[in-house]
Amino acid sequence: MRRAYIEEQKREHGRKAIAVLPVHYPKEILTAMDVLAVEMWGPPGPPRGAEAGRLQTYVCAVARNALAFMASGKADVVDAVLFPHTCDSIQGLATLLPDFGGWNKPALRYLHPKGEARPSSRAFVEKELVSLATDLESVTGRPLDTERLRWAIALHREIDGLKAQLLAGRPRLPMDDGALYALLRRGEYLWPEEHLVELRAARDQLRADPVQTGVPVAITGYVPEPMSIFATLNGAGAFVAADDYAAIGRRVVPQDGPVEGDPFAVLRDRTFAAPPCPTRASDPRIRARHLESLFGRTGVKGVIVHEPKFCEPELFDVPAVKRSAAARGLPLLLLEGELELELSAQTVTRIEAFVEMVSTGRAA
Amino acid sequence: MITRRIQYELAGRVFGPALLSFEAWQKRLKRRGKKRGPSPFGPPLESVKKLKEVMSLHYLEGRYADGAVPVAWVTSGFPVELLRPLGFHTVYPENHGALCGVQRIVPELSDAAEKEGWSRDLCSYARTDLGSVLLGKTPAGRLPKPDLLACCTNICQTVLYWYRCLADHFRVPLVLLDTPYVYGEARPHHLEYVRDQLGELIEVVEKLTGKRVDMDEIVGIVRKAREGTRLWGECLATARARPAPWTGIDGFFHLAPIVTLRGSEECNAYYRLLLDELGDRVKRGIGGIVDERRRLLWDNLPMWYGVRELSTLLAERGFNFVCTTYTNAWAEAGSRIDPADPMGSAVLAYTHIILNQDLPNRLDIMRRLSKDYSVDGAVLHSDRSCKPYSIGQIDLKERLARELGIRVLILEADHNDQRAWSPEQGNTRLGAFMESFS
Repeated sequence: MRRAYIEEQKREHGRKAIAVLPVHYPKEILTAMDVLAVEMWGPPGPPRGAEAGRLQTYVCAVARNALAFMASGKADVVDAVLFPHTCDSIQGLATLLPDFGGWNKPALRYLHPKGEARPSSRAFVEKELVSLATDLESVTGRPLDTERLRWAIALHREIDGLKAQLLAGRPRLPMDDGALYALLRRGEYLWPEEHLVELRAARDQLRADPVQTGVPVAITGYVPEPMSIFATLNGAGAFVAADDYAAIGRRVVPQDGPVEGDPFAVLRDRTFAAPPCPTRASDPRIRARHLESLFGRTGVKGVIVHEPKFCEPELFDVPAVKRSAAARGLPLLLLEGELELELSAQTVTRIEAFVEMVSTGRAA
Repeated sequence: MITRRIQYELAGRVFGPALLSFEAWQKRLKRRGKKRGPSPFGPPLESVKKLKEVMSLHYLEGRYADGAVPVAWVTSGFPVELLRPLGFHTVYPENHGALCGVQRIVPELSDAAEKEGWSRDLCSYARTDLGSVLLGKTPAGRLPKPDLLACCTNICQTVLYWYRCLADHFRVPLVLLDTPYVYGEARPHHLEYVRDQLGELIEVVEKLTGKRVDMDEIVGIVRKAREGTRLWGECLATARARPAPWTGIDGFFHLAPIVTLRGSEECNAYYRLLLDELGDRVKRGIGGIVDERRRLLWDNLPMWYGVRELSTLLAERGFNFVCTTYTNAWAEAGSRIDPADPMGSAVLAYTHIILNQDLPNRLDIMRRLSKDYSVDGAVLHSDRSCKPYSIGQIDLKERLARELGIRVLILEADHNDQRAWSPEQGNTRLGAFMESFS
């Protein structure tokens, strides 16, 4: 389905397409340069090619599946690949694929700084943004237009604003979690203007009063795979009232920065305004405060931590997340997966038992 | 504070040496009359006694360091030369982790970390250290509490996540040197970023200690660090001789001063001593193993809990690890250090660490080592706990074998957690590997 869409975008609009590995990257620059970003969170399921065997089984499924997918030619519809500097595994993949075989098209890297904003990291990220734009010029064959970048920044701000409204207004949205997350995740490959139209339509559905009757829970993790987790949750009588997935909520940048002036400076500020995320090595104390505030605002009754196995940035933060939940007296369920296509029966049982527990308030 | 300082100084200068002399005397007494049994190894290095003394004193001083001098917990790739002039006592949790690994106490420490919520899939050094902090248990007696955490991401991103957890636990400042990964050539703005951060971290440590960093002093320390890494490189290079005067496994242990005491005179004095001894062994044809028939390269960190068994298994069949990419990294990095331009050269040196560079660079290093040390084969330790070192090994194996015509084995284990090592399976694989040479 994505292949057909990408081909259509290239054919109908003359756009280039770039596969993007998780998590954080300046999508605004790609949009401004008329480049369709197609995010590759795995893809989920078993590796789609024998090349996964070039990585050890203790490397996360995101990196192994991406290697298998790309090296087997299944991503050949795109014109280049972008590797953000997310973790050691993706960093390693960014040399393994282009340097040792499996990817012959341009390979771009975006090395976002780690940790909190410092004068050095602010200066660096601005230069890295310019550097990425220059690298993209060699893919698109045309220079970046500053006005177009301003337009793209405004467009993505609006997208983020709508996502924020949908996530914050979750109890008032007459839509099940599966439908909401499918909508949010279509932004991983849709042309942003098309995604914007869908998000506006969803925003218009928001009611004045809550319509969700289930138990509100928070969910944090890397990427919502398998998506059937939401059907299981909803079926058990809960709904996601607070989201902190790296793929979803942690990429929704608050709308408090300036929009005027040098667009690269605006993008720099947006980088540091994003919610705390372990893949950017945010301070766990800051993240803990952020989560406590999120749990408090949304009135959730329990917290689900949903991580891919072997994901170091995420797994190092688990004790801090546990403390955040404990500070609010919230029970926590830790789930680990490997981007399976379906939840195992044991996991389903654990989710059901957890929802039953928080529904009855037994944990408190 | 004064009492503490006196204890600290006495520990390093009086009590420590006296205690160690007493221990050595006791050991000599026990050994008196006993003959060394048959061993596949050559005579033990005399320098080992000095190594134990140097490292024991460092850890002994450390017991009294907090409250006496500023204490920094530091990652192995951090430019410690900037901290030395300010009088920091440095603790290397990676080195301490290795100590715990050798003592095989990692499962117990890791269990404490896992109980707190850290997954067993995380780096075993990190789990060891966090568990040690939680339990207050260490083979070093006691580790001083840090006033500062100093982290450089040139060896992995893991250290940053780990040090964030330490900062959270100890509530002390964390200074970060974030070194962008080098794909091909480092980009100018990447190097500028590293340089800018060095300036920032000097400000932080000056504020913390209330002292100014003296650039002349830094130049002196940088000069010593360069000399230390040069000496270390020369020690390693003696293994180009046939037979190699020591084993690569010995090298893992003798690495401790260049990691922990880099930039100090005691570090350099130690390596002069070691180099003299190794040079003498080369002249006299004394090998690290008795009958060196095959020479191997080791890639990745060692399996600290099993190095002796592993090297014995190989030595009994005439196989010796004559070079390792890990120990070589400490010689390689120092070659870029230039006392004439301490900051600029530190930027280059600390950015161009083997693990912060792409796989073609790693392959080049392995090719070069294989040729320089005339190896017949290589063992690539696929280390569950070290993804940046292990990713790419399957391709590296194939390329090394094809290009150099050597036999290459991938051995899956973990550098610190013995629960991830299956001796029966591993030894069988090693046995088959050695068999393939006949």
